Amino acid sequence: MTDNIDDEDEPPATVAASEAEIIAMARALTAPQALDVWGLLAGSRSMPAKVGPTCAELVGDALAQVWPALWRRDGARPGSSIRAGKVVRGRGWERNPVAPLEHSPFTFALLRWLVEMPLATPGAVDKLGAKPTTIGDQVVAYLALDLATETPAQLTIARSSQAARAPLAWLGFAHLLPGDPPESAAFDQLVTGPGTVVVEALQLDLAKRWRAVELTKRAVSDPDELIKLGHGQDLTLSRFMDACTRAGRRDLAGFILDAMLPLLARDVAPFPNDLDRTKPLSVRMAARNAAGALLRGLQTWCDWDRAHRGVRFLDDDYEASQLLLTRFETSARHGADILVPTWLAQLASLAPTSGIGSATIETPEENP
Amino acid sequence: MSRAIQVRVSESVVRTVHVEDGVQSPLELLPVLAPDRMAELLAKELEAQGFKRDGKLATRKDPDGVEITVDLEAASVSVKLAANSRLSEQVDLETRAAVETQAQAENRLRDAAIDELEQRLAAKTEALRREVTDKLEKKLADLRGELDGSIGRATVAALTERAEQLGKIEEIASDEAGNVTIKVKL
Repeated sequence: MTDNIDDEDEPPATVAASEAEIIAMARALTAPQALDVWGLLAGSRSMPAKVGPTCAELVGDALAQVWPALWRRDGARPGSSIRAGKVVRGRGWERNPVAPLEHSPFTFALLRWLVEMPLATPGAVDKLGAKPTTIGDQVVAYLALDLATETPAQLTIARSSQAARAPLAWLGFAHLLPGDPPESAAFDQLVTGPGTVVVEALQLDLAKRWRAVELTKRAVSDPDELIKLGHGQDLTLSRFMDACTRAGRRDLAGFILDAMLPLLARDVAPFPNDLDRTKPLSVRMAARNAAGALLRGLQTWCDWDRAHRGVRFLDDDYEASQLLLTRFETSARHGADILVPTWLAQLASLAPTSGIGSATIETPEENP
Repeated sequence: MSRAIQVRVSESVVRTVHVEDGVQSPLELLPVLAPDRMAELLAKELEAQGFKRDGKLATRKDPDGVEITVDLEAASVSVKLAANSRLSEQVDLETRAAVETQAQAENRLRDAAIDELEQRLAAKTEALRREVTDKLEKKLADLRGELDGSIGRATVAALTERAEQLGKIEEIASDEAGNVTIKVKL
């Protein structure tokens, strides 16, 4: 009771208007529904060279809400993880030890940049100089891109914020980022330590986004656009899946199964049927092959599944293999073993035929 | 007072252009026998279709200029069509200019004429490339059917060989749908 009285007596923290916007931006990353996100992203403001300690403290408080925000995305669902070859069950925070997310100066620089730049006007935006180095930075870059979903600011953030140096950003937004994803070793940060918990919490988020992008491929008419998209997706998935294998955490690639499952069930192949017919055949064929990036990710799962079937009861990773077999089972039931190579062959065919299947997909099911 | 003159520039170009388009695709050859033997059986079928074998490659050039190359080892096919054409274009431009600026006007006009020529040549080259692409695209459906037929026959030959390894073949029956039944006495 005394504490409450003390709190009421304490004067409210005072910060400059520019600092208030940085704090609002940090809060928007974890609770976008509570703020006018578009106003924050579209506006611009000249920023002072430094911020005060009150602002720094309040930004720290806002960033401390990143874990709860991640749990709300998918981490609260009971599930299973592989830890040291064994299976751990429970909710996200029960399966994983609590570890604070480390942030480098990039996080603050990004928040400041988001406030400072008129992100709705790409031509007037300077590139951010700081680069993400920690997993906390990567999460903030991911959340910033997510915050700007369905706004013109998303592409500006993808191109000018150095998010393309964050493997986590590639995992979520390979369809937007420029250039190539970081080298395979950089993806190790996502499959070890706190990175694994982040990727676990984002599984449903990633599955939804990859599926949404997959559905757009059917309507793409510019082959070059599809080639670029497929190239980024292929590199991202192959590098991430290699990292998962190295770390013994193939369960983290489960979002690929969740993304493809409704498409397999409805027989919706990513056949681009409207490619510009004035473009050379060689370019159109490269585009069709590129459209199969997510299918190739699922093909890797099919190969993994065959290997998991060979793991014997006495082998060390038997328990993990059993979990992964269960994870793949639903995809196998929907014919992944047959449909994936068939669709990939169709994409690479000399004279492809049009794909059939509904492009209307229900809201993603949650997997057990 | 300066005198106005008419400046006329004529530029022409003759250029030989080469355009080509092509695709590469894997062949779906079932691994009934060892890869070397499967390649041999496929090569035999392709030779019957007019392909010439050169080591691991089987190639054919059709009268319409389409080149088909089957890589027997990698089980892939590439199909290519190329065309050469001698393009000629001429551009005549004229303008009025003061006599003092004749040289500059002539240079500007010449640059414009060269740009115009390049654009016309690019458009003609693109039209030629599209012609090649259309021709190739029309060919691919037939070619796919032909290659599927060769692969099917090679697969039946491989299955027959495999059956002979298992025992004595008593009967080989095939239906219109392409299904083949081989009865073997073990």
